[in-house]
Amino acid sequence: MKITILNGNPNAGNFKFDNYLKELSDLLKSSKHKVTILQLRDIDVRYCIGCWGCWVKTPGECIVADGSRDICREYINSDLVLFASPVIMGFTSALLKKAHEKLLPLIHPYFELVPGGVHHVARYDKYPLVALLLEKGKDTDEEDIKIVSDIYRRTTLNLKTSFSFTKLTSNPAEEVANEINRI
Amino acid sequence: MKLTVFNGSPRGKGSNTKILLEHFTNGFMTNDGNTYELAYLVRVKDRESFINLFREAEHVLLVFPLYFDAMPAVVKTFIESLEPLCGREGNADIGFIVQSGFPEAIHSRYVERYLEKLAKRLGCRYKGTVIRGGVEGIRATPDRMNRKLFKSFYELGKAFGETGEFDKQIVFKLGQPERLTKFYFWIIKLITHKLYWDKMLKKNNAFEKRFARPYAK
Repeated sequence: MKITILNGNPNAGNFKFDNYLKELSDLLKSSKHKVTILQLRDIDVRYCIGCWGCWVKTPGECIVADGSRDICREYINSDLVLFASPVIMGFTSALLKKAHEKLLPLIHPYFELVPGGVHHVARYDKYPLVALLLEKGKDTDEEDIKIVSDIYRRTTLNLKTSFSFTKLTSNPAEEVANEINRI
Repeated sequence: MKLTVFNGSPRGKGSNTKILLEHFTNGFMTNDGNTYELAYLVRVKDRESFINLFREAEHVLLVFPLYFDAMPAVVKTFIESLEPLCGREGNADIGFIVQSGFPEAIHSRYVERYLEKLAKRLGCRYKGTVIRGGVEGIRATPDRMNRKLFKSFYELGKAFGETGEFDKQIVFKLGQPERLTKFYFWIIKLITHKLYWDKMLKKNNAFEKRFARPYAK
């Protein structure tokens, strides 16, 4: 599989998180997966301002020439995307959310009705599976993990795919790799 | 009552959130002695002043559009900056308004759970979350078609100005429909495709390219 890891760790001083992703990536590579880690804090991504330009001016592409175009290209050509982030104030980082919102060009403005409600239609034939990797903060409890996971599960309706799993960095990287190998 | 309002729309002063808030604050101000302050979170550089506003607030209203099933990143940036205030003695009461482009309330129910937990995390008394769907449509429809919606926000603000709480009946009304029937879906689809998306696509000479897949390999 081609796997893209969106590293939403905003803190360059949090080596533990980045090292975990490196270990996971090495394990996945040894299982013959093609792995790309996108270090979001090093990529210039502007906030989505809901201008709809990616739908009605330059369909399929953000009108702002920032790093999100490369993220979109990697994303849509993956089989699995792992959204990875420390839990900050009960949710994934603003850094990860910022990149997430800029995936909007990958879907189409037209509507369809699916069991979860009205959603936009697909632009591409195939979308990657989505999984979530979280690092608990000091104030993170099980309820937080449940809330974040449910929001990400829900958002796969918007991302025209399904949700694979939530794992915590307190799980050994082998466990996460095994989970991915089972897909 | 002094209210501190945070407009969390990434569109800032050009937002639907701003339009809804104007009707809310107009109602709020009908009560003698009420005042409010308004901050636009899209100005992320003003982070320090937002924290100060929050620290000094008595009643906070955080209002934003739903972006990918959650708060916009500009709002999350703001929330992260409030971390030092968690559990502080004397934090304000807090209420939320979430509006979505999607027509049904169900989309915003997931972030509603997050917001209730956020209030707890901050140590703010939680006043509830008002949810309203179908708000993107207000910029594409004449004002007379939005009169009922604007009146509801005015009444919501008026009641809030008197009691400091969201009126449960108005909140219920605004939260309808929770889900959409097939019949309404077809009407909405017909209107939005033809009168909204296709119109803009044609205006931009992009209609023929509307299904473009620039990143397909």
